[in-house]
Amino acid sequence: MRVAVHRPFTIGEVELKSRLLLGTAQYPSPDVMVRAIEASRCEVITVSLRRQNAAGGGGEGFWDIIRGLGLHVLPNTAGCRTVQEAITVANMGRELFDTSWVKLELIGDDYTLQPDPIALIEATKVLAEDGFEVLPYMTEDLVVARRLVDAGCRVLMPWGAPIGSGQGILNPYALRTLRSRLPDMTLLVDAGLGRPSQAAEAMEMGFDGILLNSAVALAQDPVLMAKAFSRAIEAGRQGFEAGLIPSREMGVPSTPTLGTPFWQQQAAGKEEGS
Amino acid sequence: MSLTVAIVGSGLLGRMLGVQLDRAGYSVSLFDRDQKDGRGSCSYVAAGMLAPTCELDSSEAEIGEMGQRSLRQWPRFLEKLPSKVFFQEQGSLVVAHRLDRGELSLLQGRVRGRIHDESLIRNVSGKELGELEPDLEDRFSEGLFFPREGQVDNRGLLQVLTETILSRGLEWISGVAVDQISPGEISFGGEKRRFDWVVDCRGLGAKTDIPELRGVRGELIRVSAPEVSIRRPVRILHPRYSIYLVPRPENVVVIGATSIESEDLSPISIQSTMELLSAAYAVHPGFAEARVLETIVGCRPSFPDHRPRMYYQQGLMRLNGLYRHGFLIAPWVVEMACHALKQGEPSAEARELGLVF
Ligand SMILES: Cc1cc2nc3c(=O)[nH]c(=O)nc-3n(C[C@H](O)[C@H](O)[C@H](O)COP(=O)(O)OP(=O)(O)OC[C@H]3O[C@@H](n4cnc5c(N)ncnc54)[C@H](O)[C@@H]3O)c2cc1C
Repeated sequence: MRVAVHRPFTIGEVELKSRLLLGTAQYPSPDVMVRAIEASRCEVITVSLRRQNAAGGGGEGFWDIIRGLGLHVLPNTAGCRTVQEAITVANMGRELFDTSWVKLELIGDDYTLQPDPIALIEATKVLAEDGFEVLPYMTEDLVVARRLVDAGCRVLMPWGAPIGSGQGILNPYALRTLRSRLPDMTLLVDAGLGRPSQAAEAMEMGFDGILLNSAVALAQDPVLMAKAFSRAIEAGRQGFEAGLIPSREMGVPSTPTLGTPFWQQQAAGKEEGS
Repeated sequence: MSLTVAIVGSGLLGRMLGVQLDRAGYSVSLFDRDQKDGRGSCSYVAAGMLAPTCELDSSEAEIGEMGQRSLRQWPRFLEKLPSKVFFQEQGSLVVAHRLDRGELSLLQGRVRGRIHDESLIRNVSGKELGELEPDLEDRFSEGLFFPREGQVDNRGLLQVLTETILSRGLEWISGVAVDQISPGEISFGGEKRRFDWVVDCRGLGAKTDIPELRGVRGELIRVSAPEVSIRRPVRILHPRYSIYLVPRPENVVVIGATSIESEDLSPISIQSTMELLSAAYAVHPGFAEARVLETIVGCRPSFPDHRPRMYYQQGLMRLNGLYRHGFLIAPWVVEMACHALKQGEPSAEARELGLVF
């Protein structure tokens, strides 16, 4: 199966130019956050609601700053551990930001923040039924991915590595499998990236976009790092669209090389093969 | 005739400024909606850490500079007060468990990027850590030491400032909210009064006039821990939070603080309680038998850039946005405020460090 190369990037019905989605947590200040977001030219920002006591109007000052940016807001359920909790927070996000989008995050392990695939599928079913555009944060498991598609997802967000770990893509094989087995899905790599080059790598693999937070927010210069990632993501995408040449094993010549006697070439070939 | 000044809001800033202006010969009146014990102020909640270098982890270099200048002023300010306030300048430590060691280098990288003076931060081995804090010997394999940091007892300070203000005979109207502030005039409880100067130190209470202000919720736990003897503030890093343990006299340790984008002042959550207490326990098992004295919640008055601001116009000065740095930078902010009133304009220094808005 082939992944369509020149296709627009959409979430729900919205077509987006930027393939970077940026988180809004952990910046030194809202001011730095705003500048980083602007520098990245991203069009979608994720916002975490869990601990703000949003229901009690708790985070108004911060929400105002977020709304003031005029971007698409993707509320997330970061910190939720049960289906019910996630559903409550998703509804809170819908009310606060007047959007049906939700990044569904359901934590199964407290240290690695690894998502709980079973609860994820369950919550997705409920939320999709209720009209939400669910963007699930998931591990790179193909079968879980299929179930999420069955439950109504049009976007999937496998992790590259645990949240905040900055380790890059730990399982390229599984991510490649996801990409080639789900060629029509919008796939974003969410979490675990630390360097712009890692984002480029994911984009070269044909992923549709990247969701980031820590790598930018915790950098020494978040504004500059936002710009760096934004460019790396564009470069990676262009590389993918341009069609990468396959890498070649140059150790063994496939055809006789001029200037080397054939018996030496044969010997070398045998040695390599033994 | 001396110039009359109304200070609205008698938290840390209002009280310190009141005392300094009184000493400088102004006729000072303080106003607060709260009682004189200051329990409703953010200042009553704080941990009182004075960490100008370590704070650079998430603050701009100017905050460090304001903090360094204030650190030099604290002893002089405290000396002149009629009673003693617990103040310490023995440095602070940052540690992390082996799994989270990456956090140490992250913090170090960000801090070193914002200082010029290398002596402000030192890498220490597990052994050196043990020499500084014998109770932590063998518990951590490395850490960071910030020699020029300290702490001040926030509540002790508020109390001694109350004594000072009362004994100097300043007018202090408490328990009444001021509902309007304008240059040279305030109104409260249906009454209007005129002054040469009005200084707005209402913290988050000034939100009605400064819409950019927002509260950042912080939660703290005070425990009594006789089995733990750490001498100086210790911060422990974790991928998702950084928690400090601030030892106070008589075995009290302040464990804090969370930082949540919210103005909610309801009691501490279970999650925050668990984070704070397990962090403390991870530093020292002696916390298991500590007694929880109190959990406290406050909202830090903050501007979007997390820097303090002075708004200055004839007859009205506003001081606000001390965020998580009130105790760290108050002496310097107060000095800048006194200077502005005296000279009729903010100083070059205040402008240079970006205080004047
Ligand atoms: C959990 C936590 C931990 C902290 N730890 C530290 C730390 O370790 N080190 C550090 O440097 N800083 C720390 N801080 C920050 C510090 O507490 C604040 O920066 C500082 O207290 C702000 O002082 P303030 O005087 O500006 O405001 P406040 O202390 O809030 O004082 C404002 C006063 O104005 C009064 N007021 C408000 N509205 C009105 C009105 N309309 N009429 C009359 N009076 C009014 C209030 O009653 C109050 O008394 C911490 C804060 C929190 C929440």
